[in-house]
Amino acid sequence: MTAMTTLPILDETSAPFWEAAREGRFLIQRCPETARYQWYPRAHSIHAPHATPDWVEASGRGELLSYSVVHRGNTRGDPYTCALVRLEEGVTIFSRIEGVAESDLRAGLPLAVAFHRLDETVSLPIFRPPGDASGSDA
Amino acid sequence: MKDLSGKTAIVGAYESPRRDAPRVHPFALQMECILGALDDAGLTLKDVDGLCAASGDWAEGGGTMDVIELAEYIGIQPTYVNSTDVGGCSYILQAGQAAAAIATGLAEVVVISYAACPRWWPLSTPSFDPFVFPAGPGQYEIPYAPTLISTYGLFARRHMDLYGTTPEQLARVAVTFREHAAANPQARLRKPITVEDVLASPVIASPLHRLDCCVVTDGGGAVVMTSRERARDLKRRPVYLAGYGAAVARTQNSQIPDDLSTPAALSGPRAFAMAGMTPADIDVAQIYDAFTITPMLALEDLGFCGRGESGPFVAAGNLAADGGSLPTNTDGGGLSSNHPGKRGIFTLIESVRQLRGDGPGIQVADAKVALAHGLGGTFCSAATAILTV
Repeated sequence: MTAMTTLPILDETSAPFWEAAREGRFLIQRCPETARYQWYPRAHSIHAPHATPDWVEASGRGELLSYSVVHRGNTRGDPYTCALVRLEEGVTIFSRIEGVAESDLRAGLPLAVAFHRLDETVSLPIFRPPGDASGSDA
Repeated sequence: MKDLSGKTAIVGAYESPRRDAPRVHPFALQMECILGALDDAGLTLKDVDGLCAASGDWAEGGGTMDVIELAEYIGIQPTYVNSTDVGGCSYILQAGQAAAAIATGLAEVVVISYAACPRWWPLSTPSFDPFVFPAGPGQYEIPYAPTLISTYGLFARRHMDLYGTTPEQLARVAVTFREHAAANPQARLRKPITVEDVLASPVIASPLHRLDCCVVTDGGGAVVMTSRERARDLKRRPVYLAGYGAAVARTQNSQIPDDLSTPAALSGPRAFAMAGMTPADIDVAQIYDAFTITPMLALEDLGFCGRGESGPFVAAGNLAADGGSLPTNTDGGGLSSNHPGKRGIFTLIESVRQLRGDGPGIQVADAKVALAHGLGGTFCSAATAILTV
């Protein structure tokens, strides 16, 4: 897998997300007024702009919505798969797929979150087929 | 907005014939284009009181106050400026805003200018570019190392899944625009290609192949706008801005709409409404084509075909200058002619040339209404102009 080397720049809003990810928990935000989920995380609810979203642990399950395997450009390493993943909670996130051959990629593929450790402070959520925990190194 | 329709005109247009400009600073290329467009109009730098440019992105030469840097370099002190940067369609957006500025007296003669030299530019992408900046919203995406092309790949793949679009249909876009480029002596690539050539070219980011991607050129262009009244006294036949619309949508991949609609679905109807027209009124179109999927989604959002129907629409030959219902990218577009990074200015320039009857290659006969449409980033923004003679 092509190395992921860019670290996120954490801020006040995002710190709980990254702290949980380091512990292998995947958080998303939920609006306290409408109970609707949102991604990406913000300091406010996009459903009720004066409300501050709550962090809740997501199921970590989802399905593949779309994908693109990067063969050339920005990489001299192996191809890697960028993807849109629809979470069970209904929001779409951008991530990487690991553990699936390019020829097996298809929309609707069931996926589960795993964590890829970038350094001692940051673990990045990625997605793999459910039951395949080999990428969980958080 | 209807009040603005036809009140202003493009009176000068110039596209640099360069496609390679080794060690030419982009500002020097902009000066060539600005003088070229002013000469075309029969005006001089002394007439210019408005300057629109977005020159602060990669290989464009400027920084965060680029319009000042550019004005200084050119040697003018404009009293109306606009450096709104919404990506590749910035210059179409700026044309609409320049029209409003001219109509309200904020400016009289406005130059809209662009150049970039990516083929030799020695610096990397600015660290604050939204596609490389891992802070704020980008902290949840940039660490995964998405590429610009892979985001277009996400759109293309989902379009295939939702609507049955095929790689062959995408390839037809590249083949058609290459046919047009073959007639344009300034086009970067002119050798005809086949659908098989496109599919046999290396995959860059699936499902997009190298020949699904635009050329990378050093280049630039400029247009000059003024009031309808002043336009009548100038050298060239005025090309009137009949309709205009723009919209922004998103930068993050996670915010891509499920049905792949883009902000063109907002900019297009606004432009048509201002012009009092429908897609059936368009004689010739210049539609931003960074990748083959790019104009396909625009065709759907602008109403030239239904949602999901762009695959069969392009495969049926509708975009061909020779016999198509919507001759599109008559100069060869970004896929074959010219794409330094933000080619929106060229959609305006080629529209003007088609309406005047002096296209550099293919010329659509008796074109009276032209559409210039662009997007920015990865369908992040859209701007549409309808031009008439």
